[in-house]
Amino acid sequence: MSMNVQPDLEFIKAMKVAGGDTLKQCYQCATCSVACPLSSDGDPFPRREMILAQWGMKDKLLADPNVFLCHQCGDCTEMCPRGAKPGDVLGAIRAYAYEHYGWPSGLAKLCTSVKNLPMLIGIPAVTVFVLWLISGGMHIPSGEQFAHVGFTQFFGHWDFRLLAKNVLFIDVIMLSALGIAVYSLYQAISTMWGKMEENLGVGELNYRPSATLFIKDFLWPSLKEIVGHGRFRECTVNQDRVRGHLPLMLAFIGLFIVTCYSLFTQDVIGIFIPSMHGPISMWNPVKLLANVSAVAMLVGIGILWMNRAQMEAAGKATNTFYDWFLIWMIAGVGITGLAAELLRLVGIPSLGYVVYYLHLVSVMMLFLYLPYTKFAHIVYRTFAMAFERYRESAYVKDPLND
Amino acid sequence: MSNTAGNGAVLVVGGGISGLTAALEAAEVGNDVFVIDKNPYFGGRVAQLNQYFPKLCPPTCGLEINFKRLKDNRKIRSYSMTTVKSVSGGPGNFTVELETAPRFVNSNCTACGDCAAACTDEIDDPFNFGMRKIKAAYLPHEMAFPRRFVLAKDACSDECLAAVKASCKYNAIDTEMQTETFTLQVSSIIWSTGWNPYEAEKIDNLKFNSSPAIITNMMMERLAADNGPTAGKILRPGDDKEPESFAFVQCAGSRDENHMEHCSYICCMATFKQISYIREQYPEAKIYVFYIDLRTPGKYESFREKFTADENTTFIKGKVADIIAEGDGGVTVVAEDTLSAKKIQQKVDMCVLATGMKPAMEQGEQLGLTVDGNGFIVSEPEKGMISAGCAKAAVDVYSSGQSSTAAALKAIQIGR
Repeated sequence: MSMNVQPDLEFIKAMKVAGGDTLKQCYQCATCSVACPLSSDGDPFPRREMILAQWGMKDKLLADPNVFLCHQCGDCTEMCPRGAKPGDVLGAIRAYAYEHYGWPSGLAKLCTSVKNLPMLIGIPAVTVFVLWLISGGMHIPSGEQFAHVGFTQFFGHWDFRLLAKNVLFIDVIMLSALGIAVYSLYQAISTMWGKMEENLGVGELNYRPSATLFIKDFLWPSLKEIVGHGRFRECTVNQDRVRGHLPLMLAFIGLFIVTCYSLFTQDVIGIFIPSMHGPISMWNPVKLLANVSAVAMLVGIGILWMNRAQMEAAGKATNTFYDWFLIWMIAGVGITGLAAELLRLVGIPSLGYVVYYLHLVSVMMLFLYLPYTKFAHIVYRTFAMAFERYRESAYVKDPLND
Repeated sequence: MSNTAGNGAVLVVGGGISGLTAALEAAEVGNDVFVIDKNPYFGGRVAQLNQYFPKLCPPTCGLEINFKRLKDNRKIRSYSMTTVKSVSGGPGNFTVELETAPRFVNSNCTACGDCAAACTDEIDDPFNFGMRKIKAAYLPHEMAFPRRFVLAKDACSDECLAAVKASCKYNAIDTEMQTETFTLQVSSIIWSTGWNPYEAEKIDNLKFNSSPAIITNMMMERLAADNGPTAGKILRPGDDKEPESFAFVQCAGSRDENHMEHCSYICCMATFKQISYIREQYPEAKIYVFYIDLRTPGKYESFREKFTADENTTFIKGKVADIIAEGDGGVTVVAEDTLSAKKIQQKVDMCVLATGMKPAMEQGEQLGLTVDGNGFIVSEPEKGMISAGCAKAAVDVYSSGQSSTAAALKAIQIGR
C-alpha cells in the first residue's frame, strides 16, 4: 500500500507554538497508548495521533474524537521513553482544532498568542466601558445607596418597570458575547461531527437519532460521566488535578444555577414585586450556594494553578499561553467577583465599582473566548464523548452483521 | 621506579572476552600485561551465555583457548577479585592503586570440592542470577578460571566456617584473609569493564518482581545453558512448568530516556538466538516478540529471516508497556500493535525482558576517564586511557574482539 503524504508545514509550526514542540521526538513505540488509562483497546491513542501530527495530517486529526477524549493527565508523558510529551502534543492539537473550527476566525486567531493579550483584554474592557458611558450611569453611589442596591444600578436606573436598565445593559453585553460563542460552537461541533462521521469510513448512515434520542442516548450519559469525573480519576501521575478540577466544575454549575435564579427572581418576578430587586439576602440558600461556589472556584483554580506551575517546573509540562490563559481568566472572574461582593459588604463604593467593572470585563472574556480557548473543551470533549458512544451504537455498527 | 615503568606495561581492567583479547594481543607482542577482574573468575558475560554470536558457540569454545594462551604466557599476570582504586600519573608512567578482595581460599586450592560438601550455609548463586541456591563455599562455575573455590564468609555461621576449614586437606581455607592493596606502574590502561544487565526492577511498568514468570534475557541464557540451574531445560522459574508460550519484550530499559538512552545493539539478536533455544526444546511453543524496530545489523539479517519465517512466532510492532501477573503463574503483556492500531493483551506462560547493556564502570570520572552521556568510556589513547568492548559501546562479541585488538595496538605504542 502506498500513501501520498503531503505534510502541512503550517500545522507543524502551529503545533510548536501551542506546546507540541517535542512532537518530533516520538519514535512510535506506543508506550503512551498503553500508559493512557482512557485509551480503548479497539481505538487506542495517543500513539496514532502522534504520527499523524508528525506527518502534518491535520485533516485526520481534526476528525479524531480521541484528540478530545484525552484529559491530559500526563500518564503518557511520564512514561514516554523519548520525552515527546504526547499529553502536551494532544493539548496542542486541541488548541489547533479550536482555532481551526472557531468562528469568526479573526477572534479565534487572536486567542492563540500571548502577544494579543492587550487586545484580548482590550475588547471587553472597551465594550463594557463604552456601554457604561452610553448608559449614563457613570457615577459612584453614596455609601447608603450602595448598601441598598449594591451593583444593581451600575448601569444606572430608570423607572421602566418591565426591564431594569442595568439588566438591559448586562444582557446586551453578556448575551451578545455568549450568543457569538454559542453560534460559533454550534457551527464548530456540527462541522466536526460531520468530519468524525466521515472518518469512520462506514459511508452514509441509514438511520440517525432524533434530537431527543441523541440527548438521551449519547449526550446525557456523557454529561453524567463528566460530572462524576470518572475518567479524570483514572489518571495516576496527576491525581491532584481532580482535586482542582472537580470543585471548579461544581462551582461553575453552582454559579449557573445562581445566575438562573437571579435572572428569574429579579427580572421576571421583580416585574411584579419590585422589592425583589437588589442584592440577594446573605441568608438566602441561593446566595449561600453562590458564595460557596465562589470559594470553590477560587480553591479549584488555585489548585490547578499551583499544579500546573509545579508540573512546568519539573519539566513535565510545557508552558503555553493556551493553558495559562484559561487559568488567568477563571482566576480573574473569581477574584474580582468575590472582591466586589466583599467591597459591597464593607461599603466602599468607589473601589467596589472599579472591581465590579473588572469583574464584568473578565466574565465577558470568559464568554466571548469560550469557543477558542482551552475553555472550549467543555463543549468539544462532551461531544467527543457523545461521539464515542455514538460510534459504538447501532446507528453506526450494524448489530447483525458486524 | 618500578621495573615495569616506561617498559610499555599494560593494565587491562576487566577480564571478559574483550579484556582477555586485549591482554593476549598486547602480551603476545612482548609487552608486560596485568589483567584484573572484579569477579572471582575471568570470562565475564560471555561465560554466562549459553551460546554466543556470531557462530552460536558455547562460551567454552572461545574462552578455553584464551585461558590456555593466558596461562602459557609468562608476560601476563592475572588478578581476580581485584578493582582499581586510583590512577595517577600520565601516559607512559601511570601509578595504579589496586585492591584485591579476600577470597578466603588461598592458592593451595585444588578445587576438590570437599569444602562445599562440608559447608552448611547457602547463598543465591550470583552466576545464575539467584535462580538457585549454592553452598557458600563454591566454584563460581564449571569452567571458572582461576580454578579455585570462593568462600562467602559473611553468609556463613561460625560452625559452618569451622566445618569448611576442617574439611580442607590442603589447608587452603584462610578465614582471616584481608583486603589487600597493591600498586602497579604501567604505561597505558585498557578499560574493558564491560556491562551489567540493566536492572529490570527499575522499569516500573514491566513489574519484574510481580511474577517469577518474568525473567531477563540473561536469565534465559542461564536457563538454556547445560551448566545452568535447570541443566539446560527451559522451565518457568517458580513452578518449573514447561512453558507453552513466550513473550519477548524488546528495548526493556534501552532507548528510553527514563532508563538508558542508547540502543543496546545486541538484544534483538539475543532474542532471535533465544527463539532458537526455545525451538530446540519446544517446537510448537507460541512466541510473541514485541519490538519498536528489529535491529539486526549487517550479516545478522539472514539470521533474522530464519525466524521471521517461523509460523509459530509472531512479531508485533509495539513496545510492551504493562505486564500483569496472572493467577495461573503466567503473565499478560499489554502493547499497542502499531500496524493494526489495536491494543493487544497477550497471555503467555513466560515473559523475557530483553534488558539492555548498562556500562559496568560507575566511577569512571573519579578515575580520570571521560565518560559519555550513556556511561560508556571514551577511548583516549593520547591520555593513555583506552576503552574496549562493551565498556566503549554496546556491541556484540565479534565487535568487542575487534575493538580489543585495536585497543591493544594503541596501548603498546605508549611508553615505548
